[in-house]
Amino acid sequence: MSEIVIEVGKRHIREINEEIQEACKTGQPIRVIDTLSRHNLGVGLPDGADITFEGSVGYFCGGLNTGSTITVERNCGWALGEGMAKGHITVNGRAGMSAGAAMIGGTIHVKGDAGPRCGVAMKGGNIVVEGTIGYQSGFMAHSGKIIALGGAGESCADALWEGEVWVAGPVESVGVDVNVVEPTAEEVAEVDQILEPLGLVDNSRDWRKMISGQRLWYFEARDASAWLMI
Amino acid sequence: MANEDASTGRAGVVHGGDMDHAKEAAPYEYPFEMASEDEIRFRDAGAVEGRPAGVPSSYDEGGSTRWTPEAISEVHALAQLGRYQVRGYNTFNKQLPTFDDLTFVPATMTRLPLEGYREKCETKTILGGGRGLVEKPLELDIPIYIASMSFGALSASAKASLGHGASKVGTMTCTGEGGMLEEERSASSRLLYQMSPARYGVDLDHLRRADALEIVVGQGAKPGTGGLLLGMKVSPRVSKMRTLPEGVDQRSTIRHPDFLGADDLSVKIEELRIATNYQVPIFIKMGATRPRFDVAVAAKAGADVVVVDGAEGGTGASPELLLNHTGIPTMSAIRAAREALDDCGMTGKVSLVAAGGIRSGVDAAKCLALGADAVMIGNASMIALGCNSPRYLEDYSALGTSPGACHHCHTGRCPVGIATQDPDLEKRMDPTAGAERIARYLTAMTMEITALAKACGKSSVHNLETEDMRALSFQASAFTGVKMAGIDRAFDW
Repeated sequence: MSEIVIEVGKRHIREINEEIQEACKTGQPIRVIDTLSRHNLGVGLPDGADITFEGSVGYFCGGLNTGSTITVERNCGWALGEGMAKGHITVNGRAGMSAGAAMIGGTIHVKGDAGPRCGVAMKGGNIVVEGTIGYQSGFMAHSGKIIALGGAGESCADALWEGEVWVAGPVESVGVDVNVVEPTAEEVAEVDQILEPLGLVDNSRDWRKMISGQRLWYFEARDASAWLMI
Repeated sequence: MANEDASTGRAGVVHGGDMDHAKEAAPYEYPFEMASEDEIRFRDAGAVEGRPAGVPSSYDEGGSTRWTPEAISEVHALAQLGRYQVRGYNTFNKQLPTFDDLTFVPATMTRLPLEGYREKCETKTILGGGRGLVEKPLELDIPIYIASMSFGALSASAKASLGHGASKVGTMTCTGEGGMLEEERSASSRLLYQMSPARYGVDLDHLRRADALEIVVGQGAKPGTGGLLLGMKVSPRVSKMRTLPEGVDQRSTIRHPDFLGADDLSVKIEELRIATNYQVPIFIKMGATRPRFDVAVAAKAGADVVVVDGAEGGTGASPELLLNHTGIPTMSAIRAAREALDDCGMTGKVSLVAAGGIRSGVDAAKCLALGADAVMIGNASMIALGCNSPRYLEDYSALGTSPGACHHCHTGRCPVGIATQDPDLEKRMDPTAGAERIARYLTAMTMEITALAKACGKSSVHNLETEDMRALSFQASAFTGVKMAGIDRAFDW
């Protein structure tokens, strides 16, 4: 199938995104060139589109994605795939801060390192980072998995809800209220199922699975009567 | 000591050094018998040994201005609980001014009033169209809308009632941070969709179904602190909408996950515009702390509407200290916000909404006169729904409170079924009656605003200005820059 090429350059971001949205309707693969690390490229993309950004992109690339397959050939800025519900984002380079912030579904795959607060407040889906994840990654993640093959920075998995952070490598420090557990074989198999389509399964990995210690979940009691006096 | 010499009739001064020359004064003798000590000390009135009658014991009455009964009970509470107290409702801080500290000065000789009972006064309010960036600015029929209160804090039927009532009078309601509730979406002709830092339930479909989006950076009741929803209200449906474990005490984040400062925020706003195809206005809501600067930053970052929520703003649950001791009064925030927009050339481009402690159309009119383009009401709309109404008295009593004093939203045990997730309690609020009360209350408020505007000679409620008011206290004058009644000058502005 022939490819639609869209040139970014210095045009207004609205014009570029409208062109991308129109191109998505054709069902043809889309190649976006001359990206100049512009912010807000490919925001709110529909289900089923296939789009490649040639070069680096700025903030919010693939934000609120609803099912497109997005490839960034070099690096991306903050909040890659922010709030995305469905789809697959691959970054061949590195990702900046807050990759996958508040995402609710789909997969983000970063081949390099990801910056601080990777997967912050995520509500579902999976983030796979082949390199390391930065400071306070997984902060208040509600659901979903952050999988870092290279390692993690300080304050990892801080204040989790039901999200999980998996690290196969050194962790500089864990955040507050974290339980670091040995995963069971079944749990590792689940993670391998996520890694398998990415060609990243390696049975020799020494996993550290981080989940919430649940000490921050309860102020004092679940019982309403404890609150009546105040 | 100046005295008069009785024998000579000459005024003289008695000095210590002149004692030799002073006439020796004989002790005065009563021409009657000295009264008994019992009679002097009102012993018949029950005075006890060692304490004058009529003077209460300091042990009984206290009177310390530092250790008031409230301060003492606060220490007892902290000492027993080992944590700060949590409650709902709004500030109990007595030092905050009320809008009653301002009065209107209607047209008399220098200005011409409009016929209050006959002539028209425009109430239509357009929000978010000033920059010319969005396809569908909000058109509200009245300058009041329902404040953001989440599903979670409020029951689903309360949320739907607010929507129906607001729709009937042509205005808007807001989702709050709990995500978009289907009942509320279908009930609301105009719905503001809130994106709090925690981003509960945020997805593209909901963003596109909203009539406006709001990025929350704080709220008046507890600026600088995220939402709080205690486990009693994290019901199965709430937990699903927020992707939270059921029954946890939800303490939300206050920092947004994907932007930190104003520069990033402007990129975020652009993202939301792209995601919604430049259709709907973007609001930024903040607690009132440094509005002169915060509002300027929000306007410069690209907001279409800035919402400033004063310290009197309400909440479903908050650490009590934040309710009582953070933020600045709504009246002061409005003036500072308006001046900020003026100073950075954003008046006309960015709309200003005020909130926090607005109880009536009179309060709302004062907000408009101070510079707001619209106001939003939270607590007031809950009260119109039936909050603190004198029904189910035994349940108020079980909470240790009574109608008119209840502030127990945080417990989820709302006696009248508004601030609860308990299905049985929720049934106590009749959603149809609630909707009609909201519609009537908003209508009555609007009548109050137009009555004042017309008395001040204004053909639109948006023409109300600070000159239409005078302050009744120096404090209110200093807070607002409104001229002090009497001296007719603004206090140091």
